[in-house]
Amino acid sequence: MNITRYIDYALLDSTTTESDIIQLCQEAIQYNFYGICINSCYVSLANQFLKETDINISAVVGFPLGAASTKSKIFEAQQAIKDGASEIDMVINLGLLKSRNYVSVLKDISDIKFAIENTPLKVTIEIDELNKNEIVKVCEICLDAGADYIKTSTGFTKNGATFTAVKMIKKIVRDKVKIKASGGIDDYESILKYIEAGADRVETATNIMATNKAQQIRNSKIFKQYLENLEKSKTTSDSSIITKV
Amino acid sequence: MKLNKFIDHTLLKPTATKHDIANLCNEAITYDFFSVCLNSCYVKLAKQHLKNSSVKVCSVIGFPLGAMNTNAKVEEAKLALKDGGDEIDMVINLGLLKSKDYDDVLEDIKAVKNIMPNNILKVILETCYLVDNEIIKASEIAIQAGADFLKTSTGFGSGGATIHDVKLMQNVAKNKVGIKASGGIKDAETALEYINIGVNRLGTSSGVSIVTGKTSNSNY
Repeated sequence: MNITRYIDYALLDSTTTESDIIQLCQEAIQYNFYGICINSCYVSLANQFLKETDINISAVVGFPLGAASTKSKIFEAQQAIKDGASEIDMVINLGLLKSRNYVSVLKDISDIKFAIENTPLKVTIEIDELNKNEIVKVCEICLDAGADYIKTSTGFTKNGATFTAVKMIKKIVRDKVKIKASGGIDDYESILKYIEAGADRVETATNIMATNKAQQIRNSKIFKQYLENLEKSKTTSDSSIITKV
Repeated sequence: MKLNKFIDHTLLKPTATKHDIANLCNEAITYDFFSVCLNSCYVKLAKQHLKNSSVKVCSVIGFPLGAMNTNAKVEEAKLALKDGGDEIDMVINLGLLKSKDYDDVLEDIKAVKNIMPNNILKVILETCYLVDNEIIKASEIAIQAGADFLKTSTGFGSGGATIHDVKLMQNVAKNKVGIKASGGIKDAETALEYINIGVNRLGTSSGVSIVTGKTSNSNY
């Protein structure tokens, strides 16, 4: 199991410069991260550095409030794909959700999914703004709307991902929708724990591979044992599904 | 002095419901505010509530990071105007400004202004992230690009308007474009401080307490 291929390396601050983006791309190449996650204005710049690699570019859309009109979200997503994005991370319309206008929340997502066709769509549900019932409701909406991933958080609210929420989402969506844990995840150990909790992708703004602590952990016996166990448990759950089918 | 027509009555938090927007519009009618300022998904709804009033609808664009691609900002603005928006408050591309890529910052604003020659465009500089020289530079660029107003803040950054920043913007604007102070203006006293130095518009979610509080029996 290669941890780096679970990671979307993110840089989403409004004051991010062109050289910050170039550095992000270089580090993503160096450590072979699954992808980078950036604002849509920088997709075409990042694509210049990443197009010859297998590093994916996720562009955020309607970010971070989710309160842009659906059509403008669609346009932003389409432009990002044209510029070289291989995945779209949209934010749901939280206001309509709080208005209990579930049909409109669903339509916002499904219209975008329809417009971007086969490009993977991650739907950011911003768990920090939701209670348990709302998380359940949103997961059902995401299933119906054709989301490829449910993403926990934008990273722009007080709290980001939690293990409890990821486990809860996993229980609801099982293997029908993937999960991306994001927001406030900044160390190697947490990333492992999120994967263990059911996350298929983890977003971090910290280059956890470059920290000394990560090096130490990776070199330790306990860690290697842990990885082996994790690998085994994944294989077991996979085979149990196959047996059922 | 009446402050109501200086006020863009504002509700931008992402969890604002349809009901909250209806309330915002009703308050804007009751207190005769200049406009309501909201996210683009709610422009159509607000226009329905306000169609028989003189209260305008102001939509934010590329909000609050300003980091969406230019074409998407243009399209969001176009749609907001089509949905009944009267004014547009766009966020400048801060990252490109910090990269000193001034041409692209200019083009980003110009592209939006081009599709709305007859509507008011306010350009949000998000001054809390800028040093004095950057505020001056951003003001110059926005004016060159055709901005009708310079606006200080989104209210989502690390800080809101300050008198110091407004004065820097005024020095560049020289009354050729308006100034909107926003972010952290919560009472009549603060509102008047800005009006007294010549600010043309205030963005605030405390409009009701500003006009019903200290201001109603104030004569400045």
